[in-house]
Amino acid sequence: MIDMIQQFASCCRAAGLRISTSEVLDCFRHLQLIDISDEMQFKTTLRTNFIKNYREQGKFDQLYHLFFHELRTDIEIARSTPLGSLVKDVLENLDQNSVDNPSKSILDFLSGDPIGFLEEVRSIQSEGNEPMQGPIKGPRSNLGSLARRLKIMLQIYAVQESIMNFLAENKSKFSWETNKNLKTYFSQRLDRARRYLHEDPPAYPDNSSHVTSYEKYLTQIGERNFASLTPKEVDEMRIVIAHWVRKLKDTIGLRYSRNNRGIIDVKQTLRDTMKYYGVPLKISYRKRPKRKGKIVTLCDVSGSVWSAARFMLNMLYSLQECFAKVRSFVFVADMDEVTRIFENNDINEAIDKALKEAKISYNADTDYGSAFRNFKRSYMDALNKKTTLIIIGDGRSNYTNPEEDIFDEMREKCRRVVWLNPEPKVFWYTGDSEMRTYEVYCHQLRVCGNLNQLMDFINDLVL
Amino acid sequence: MNYKSVSEVKERLAKADYICSKETSTVVFLAEATQKPILVEGPAGVGKTELAKAVSRSLGRELIRLQCYEGLDEAKALYEWEYAKQLLYTQMVKEKIHDVIAGASTISEAIDKIAGEEDAFFSERFIQPRPLLQAICTKEPVVLLIDEVDKSDPEFEAFLLEVLSDFQVSIPEIGTRQAIQIPFVVLTSNNYRDMSDALKRRCIHLYIDYPDRNLEITIVLLKIPNIKERLAEQLVDTIRKIRELDLKKKPSISETLDWAKSLIALQADELSTELIIDTLNVICKYKSDIERVKAQIKTISSQIGLK
Ligand SMILES: Nc1ncnc2c1ncn2[C@@H]1O[C@H](COP(=O)(O)OP(=O)(O)O)[C@@H](O)[C@H]1O
Ligand SMILES: [Mg+2]
Repeated sequence: MIDMIQQFASCCRAAGLRISTSEVLDCFRHLQLIDISDEMQFKTTLRTNFIKNYREQGKFDQLYHLFFHELRTDIEIARSTPLGSLVKDVLENLDQNSVDNPSKSILDFLSGDPIGFLEEVRSIQSEGNEPMQGPIKGPRSNLGSLARRLKIMLQIYAVQESIMNFLAENKSKFSWETNKNLKTYFSQRLDRARRYLHEDPPAYPDNSSHVTSYEKYLTQIGERNFASLTPKEVDEMRIVIAHWVRKLKDTIGLRYSRNNRGIIDVKQTLRDTMKYYGVPLKISYRKRPKRKGKIVTLCDVSGSVWSAARFMLNMLYSLQECFAKVRSFVFVADMDEVTRIFENNDINEAIDKALKEAKISYNADTDYGSAFRNFKRSYMDALNKKTTLIIIGDGRSNYTNPEEDIFDEMREKCRRVVWLNPEPKVFWYTGDSEMRTYEVYCHQLRVCGNLNQLMDFINDLVL
Repeated sequence: MNYKSVSEVKERLAKADYICSKETSTVVFLAEATQKPILVEGPAGVGKTELAKAVSRSLGRELIRLQCYEGLDEAKALYEWEYAKQLLYTQMVKEKIHDVIAGASTISEAIDKIAGEEDAFFSERFIQPRPLLQAICTKEPVVLLIDEVDKSDPEFEAFLLEVLSDFQVSIPEIGTRQAIQIPFVVLTSNNYRDMSDALKRRCIHLYIDYPDRNLEITIVLLKIPNIKERLAEQLVDTIRKIRELDLKKKPSISETLDWAKSLIALQADELSTELIIDTLNVICKYKSDIERVKAQIKTISSQIGLK
């Protein structure tokens, strides 16, 4: 019994479930308390100890069935019937005939040890599955896993063929009846391997949609240029961003509380004593991380820059509570403030609205100089020594006056200036780009053409 | 009174007005027998919170509930010093303080003397216990419900893990408090975020799904005593069909029960397409969901065989 449970745990691990030794020990203890002849109780006891996440329930059910219903009966056959020893003979024979056989794991599977096979299937799933469950169903990402699946399938066929050949060649050794039984035995088992290879574990209901392994997914979509995303991918990327933002917030909170658990906020405490005639009746503790300063963003919304800018705005506003204030402006030649739109709407709606409702003309030629003049006239008071000014644009200003003096003035007024350019660096100093003019006034310049680059930037900004 | 077997758990929970599947009763039995916390996951309204309440009723134990939310911290979960009370006491015993420092010739000597009495002010008398400390300090065993733990911050989760590991807390001024009776702990989660592996390893896990047909009908008959069996069946069949649709928020047991109540109030004996449409707002909270159900209602009622 103990052996069997341990073996099952190894199978689960091979299939990618994480089970610790303490959980196996707990399971042993629990099995002694229940009626193991009642399968529901038995299965529940295994599950409650091995699976701690609803998402893995389907996988568990699949493995449970494979191990306790399909393989168990095989082992019973192997142990107690004459057919069993014949099966063993056949497998040993095949194994010896082909040294470093790539289908070793399949032969093991046939003899009742599924671990190697489960591991192989798992490596396909963990590499190939994300793009399939996750947002993109692009042919590019899917092919790799298909090819590997195909490889295993061919191996299964090869094993099947050599078994059938072997049986045909040695026909004389077995009776007609035994030969038939062996054939059925092997075909059934091979079918099972094939089924396991193709079946996805049943999905369990869930009230929120998660992208399970979004980190791996990110490395793929994260490198794609913003401009090349389809509308559907844009939608799906939002989910990814939301997930990432939540994790980032957790990190901020955790880091803060580790260092500053229960520190008295002297300023606040003293301020409160005023209310109580100088008696420190209420002690305040610092609980929340100090906010980072103000953020002012200027977004070039002409052409392709907007696709990068919208993701940045999405992230900034999702992290709004980390900053004292976020103000945002959009421009082509005129400039308008869109902060209000973001404050009063859901982020995604706001991003769509920002373009529609801003009072700027989109048909105008991009003119950074004119945008800066606009800013100076109406919004200079948005900047102070706590402000980080973020400009996101390609700096392509149609050979108009770049007004770098105004830009210099803006820089004087704020704490830091960061320029994000969605173009690859090789294009920065070509044609009508004013990057060369503006770069001397910036504290930092970054290329920001895909999600990974953008997330790196935001990470630096808040942590 | 402890549970003796899995089937006894099921019976006693039913007596406490909670109908459960065998999975649920098995996990509850194991948790009780080995004093392990249960982490319950599942969609909203399937009876996660109610399970803890029912366990407390069936074991005849007090229920202590800690509702989690963003920003919940140790002070609010464990204990707080009653600062105002401490202050009040110092005022009241002012005279006594004069006595204490009477013989002191220097200020530092006076302070030393006062410090000698300091313990009096940082004693149990001035502690306001919050749910976790209450659960640890009670003489009778209790059921501790840590509700919606996924809403709490990760740093709180780390702290919770310490408490659940040895049921012991230390209060610097007073010392360590070790639980006299290990409470029966139920943590519930709506999967807003994943809990840490360490916490999950401490717990055994229970996933409560939408119930199967018979279970749900039994729940309706139990909770709505006046309902006709036929209506209960039609109701549950309809709800189950609606759950198959792609909705923002699927109706749960609580919606089934609310719906049954409103149908009783309308004195309906039988369900009809019209009646469903009129009462849809009880089942679905979102407008878009109501529209979606309406679009499918003809198909659904013909599948179930409604008028
Ligand atoms: N198995 C059950 N037996 C009896 N009543 C139930 C059951 N499941 C849910 N309910 C009822 O459904 C309602 C919602 O349950 P609740 O515990 O609040 O859901 P959750 O905590 O999972 O969101 C409660 O009023 C409860 O009485
Ligand atoms: Mg609840």
